[in-house]
Amino acid sequence: MSAARIEEATLRRIVMVASPLAVLLAWQVLSAARVFPPEVLVSPQAVLAAFGQLTASGELARHLGESLQRLLWGFSIGSGAGLLFGLAAALSPTFARLFDPLFQALRQVPVLAFIPLLILLFGIDEVFKIVIIAKAAFFPTALSTLDGVRGVPRAWFEVARIYRTPLPSLVWRVLIPATVPSVLSGVRLSLTRAWLVLVAAELIVADSGIGQMMEMGRQMFRLDVVMVGVVVCGVIGFALDRGFVLLQARLLRWRAQPAGAEA
Amino acid sequence: MSAALRRYGGGLPARIALGLLVPLALILLWDHQARHGGEHAFAFVSAAQVAGALRELWQSGDLLTAYGNSLRNAFGGLFWGSVTGLAVGSAMALLRPVDWVLTPLYHGLRQVPLLGWLPLIGLWFGSGDLSKVIVVSLSAFYPAVLYTYEGLKGVEARMLEVGRLYRLTPWQTFWRIRWPSALPSIFTGLLQSVAFAWIATIGVELLFPTGFGLGTVMQHGQLQARLDIVVVCIAVVGLTGFAINLLVARLSRHALRWRPVRT
Repeated sequence: MSAARIEEATLRRIVMVASPLAVLLAWQVLSAARVFPPEVLVSPQAVLAAFGQLTASGELARHLGESLQRLLWGFSIGSGAGLLFGLAAALSPTFARLFDPLFQALRQVPVLAFIPLLILLFGIDEVFKIVIIAKAAFFPTALSTLDGVRGVPRAWFEVARIYRTPLPSLVWRVLIPATVPSVLSGVRLSLTRAWLVLVAAELIVADSGIGQMMEMGRQMFRLDVVMVGVVVCGVIGFALDRGFVLLQARLLRWRAQPAGAEA
Repeated sequence: MSAALRRYGGGLPARIALGLLVPLALILLWDHQARHGGEHAFAFVSAAQVAGALRELWQSGDLLTAYGNSLRNAFGGLFWGSVTGLAVGSAMALLRPVDWVLTPLYHGLRQVPLLGWLPLIGLWFGSGDLSKVIVVSLSAFYPAVLYTYEGLKGVEARMLEVGRLYRLTPWQTFWRIRWPSALPSIFTGLLQSVAFAWIATIGVELLFPTGFGLGTVMQHGQLQARLDIVVVCIAVVGLTGFAINLLVARLSRHALRWRPVRT
């Protein structure tokens, strides 16, 4: 590598760190100069102070805990069911014919549009939130499992049949290794969707959770609380996705080439 | 298509019948639940009631008005979001300093779940149509930036070399080489933008009860426990999503028909 290239790389790194800092600085200057009234633009310190306050009072931890618990349940149920559905539909043509039209029709409807229906059916309790998250997590996993299993070369199944491989080892030795990359990328999408829908559901029917914290902040014109919520939402979303990518890389480390799903 | 039809021959009606079995069974079960009562009888509505709600919404003109408003919000947001996304994505791909400055900001902001911005945008811009269009355009903006960027960056090096051999000006390089080879990716982005814009429209309308869109009608239906109205809206939302996806897929195939087909 030539000196010029190295220099460019350093310059690039500096700019990439500097640009968010510049935005922060501009925010600070704008709020200090009172270009906008404080109800419209709170200062970064105020947001930080609100964060400290929410952390110290345990409020943030409580909301976040509730949200994450919902996410865990809804996501596990949804993507687990999606996995089973995808497997069944890929392996049994009859099952696919029976359920495919319903599946395709439901897939067309945005998850958020189901919120009023589910509220009427399940009320606004925990069940509703878990069902809506599960619904959001179901489809990406089901689709990618379906595609992944259908993408397994037919010859592999034929070989397995010749060797009279029993179903459990067919699943364990052939299907799983061949389909894990595609399934995992679907599960990753499921996780992102689940988080998005969770925040939306909590904004709409508020009793607890990070979305409710933001909605209350909005209603009480606490811009600082809302900002804390936005940042925490972003950080959690990022951490979930990053964590999953790391897990994915670990699970797929036996592959000669790393999965193209990186970044 | 005709090949597929011929292949299945007489089996096709049987396949369709099989596919309709499960949805029909569900509808019958639902109808039965509604008429004969059960635990949640109040929540279920019969098919006749849904048809009645459709007629009612149609005759009062509410459905058309709401639908028109929702579509207007969706397309307004889609337009602004994809135009700015295209511009920002191109600038990032073509000018390195812009890339360095904007990449961290783009990826940072993208982490926040879309509807998580709602409370903040609501505080800043009120809960009128402006806020709605902003959120919808944000939903269209993200994929537009990403796919424009990747499309323009992913040009094959040998194509650029040919351009250099012909001593093309930067503008010619862009217009003759980069842009055409980025088009497929840009269309993929547009496809996603369209889908997200429609989803975001419904979500925003559910959350901001001002104005009069499909989401608002659903929200009112939910508050009045009118499941029939909610079901009609879900069907309209789903069908619209389906139609939009189909339309964009057709358009992109038409626009890219000069390209040798890979898939």
